[in-house]
Amino acid sequence: MSTLQETATTKSAPVLRVKARKSGDDYLRLSPWLFLAPALAIYTIVVVYPMVYSAYLSLFRWDGVAPTMVFVGLRNYINLVTQNDVFWIALKNNAVWLIAALLLPTSIGLGLALLLNMKFRGSAIFRSIFYFPAVLSLAVVGLIWTWIYQPDLGLLNQALGAFGLKGLQRNWLSDPLIAIYPVILAATWNAVGLPMLLFLAGLQTVPPELLEAAKIDGAGAFRRFIHVTFPLLRETTLIVLAITAINALKAYDIVYAMTNGGPANRTQLLSTWMYFLTYNYNTVGEGTAIAVILFLLTLIFAIPYLRIMTRKV
Amino acid sequence: MSQSLQKSGVLSGRLTKTALFYGALILVALIWFTPVITLIITALKDAGDFAVNGAFSIPKSIRWSNFSEAWDAGVKNYFWNSVIVTGVKVPIGILIEALAAFALTHMHFRWANKVFTYILIGLIVPIQMTLVPLTLLLNSLNLIDTLHGLILLYIGFGVPFGVLVMRGFFRTVPTAIIEAARLDGCSWFRIFYRIALPLALPAVISLCILDGVATWNEFILAQIFLRSDELRTLPLGLVQFSTQFSTQYDQLAAAVLIAVVPIVLVFLLFQRYFVSGMGGAVK
Repeated sequence: MSTLQETATTKSAPVLRVKARKSGDDYLRLSPWLFLAPALAIYTIVVVYPMVYSAYLSLFRWDGVAPTMVFVGLRNYINLVTQNDVFWIALKNNAVWLIAALLLPTSIGLGLALLLNMKFRGSAIFRSIFYFPAVLSLAVVGLIWTWIYQPDLGLLNQALGAFGLKGLQRNWLSDPLIAIYPVILAATWNAVGLPMLLFLAGLQTVPPELLEAAKIDGAGAFRRFIHVTFPLLRETTLIVLAITAINALKAYDIVYAMTNGGPANRTQLLSTWMYFLTYNYNTVGEGTAIAVILFLLTLIFAIPYLRIMTRKV
Repeated sequence: MSQSLQKSGVLSGRLTKTALFYGALILVALIWFTPVITLIITALKDAGDFAVNGAFSIPKSIRWSNFSEAWDAGVKNYFWNSVIVTGVKVPIGILIEALAAFALTHMHFRWANKVFTYILIGLIVPIQMTLVPLTLLLNSLNLIDTLHGLILLYIGFGVPFGVLVMRGFFRTVPTAIIEAARLDGCSWFRIFYRIALPLALPAVISLCILDGVATWNEFILAQIFLRSDELRTLPLGLVQFSTQFSTQYDQLAAAVLIAVVPIVLVFLLFQRYFVSGMGGAVK
């Protein structure tokens, strides 16, 4: 009885394991694997094995069709870095995208969460409005914003004209120097919802007594935020930053829908350029090498994230 | 007298403040929602009206036929393909994810944490990292350009997030209940089916919705692995549609709206589950 209570209250796995061994309960040891088998099998076949195989393929020169592949070591990576100009454009675009994603959706999301956390009448409706773009597919977001940026009839240029700002009108998505920024702005519109939701959830864990006490001590709204709320949101903030960074590096559909990498490859990302190299130019080795580089970049942000997620056992 | 005057002064001050607050908020919300409003207006006007008056003017006359024309021009196929893919993927996915998450939380075994970490890696893998081997794999299975091939991939890629959400929920199920059922001689599968799953119903609904929306919206795998037009799912079909009918903004907008409406309905009906589902993923 006392062991039972102990297992119940402390979730202590060792006790159970000892028990299992003593009674020779093989079923107990096999059954977790039976429960895991379908998920693990399909996940391993569809995600893990292809991932490892891609890393292997990145060491070969191959057109995707020929029966033989030529081992070239790190040649594909070296070629990308030294001879492939678009690789550098894509890398730079990824960097700009990443910085924008770490700054904009996160801070807008936090601001909206703080605002909507004040329980005023109708706050639920506003929450829906601000969250809504996040449920749209990026392809749809891309299409909608393509019309907004349309040079003659698009809303943006028309609005600029109406406010007497004709000088600011642009051919937004065909101007090679700026085309990536309108795309990032469209992506931001979609990316705000998730941080907002996560921050709202985080704010629910801030004890109201603490804020009340700070208020009685004479702290204004700003100081209450800096000294009470924000420190308590530390973990949420880390998760939000990690998820937005990972999502930013995954960006693909919206570029495909809006510019397809153009004009003159100026809006390529590593993800889209990987597609071009692999499926349009049949240089599978270089394409998978880009995928590996993209994965390594993602890891920088993912490792702290995975740490947080697995720590709480 | 002066007191009541002061009072009404305070009151009207507060009223102005409230009005200002709501005014500012509504303005920001309107700007935020402009793309959606534009989309709706464009879908309701005819192409001529759009060409003359641009995107944001009130439609001269409402043209519902945009929807039926877009539907007949191919959106019908895309729509039903998306329904099939989502309808098959989500239940199968959730079942295997729940089984795995249950094993990870309640069936104490030595490797539980290692297996969980292994599964979480999938959350961060760029899909590009899997495309070429998956092309080879599906090719050898003759599953390129089939909906079942795509569904298979979706189930695999859904595992990490699903396990994460379900595990977050199963951890809140008291161990005592499970242990008691064990002592009563209940098999693990019965415990899962009769106790854990019913208790996890809110999590299952959350996951259904989050996963349903994600599947409905998925683009890149569909783009790579579906070749023929009649098999395309909505996001892919719409992008295709937009290159074919690049100037017919009215029909295009109607097509996009058709794709978005199911999502809006799900969103409005099950809104709170979005919050709890995401909460479950971070817990």
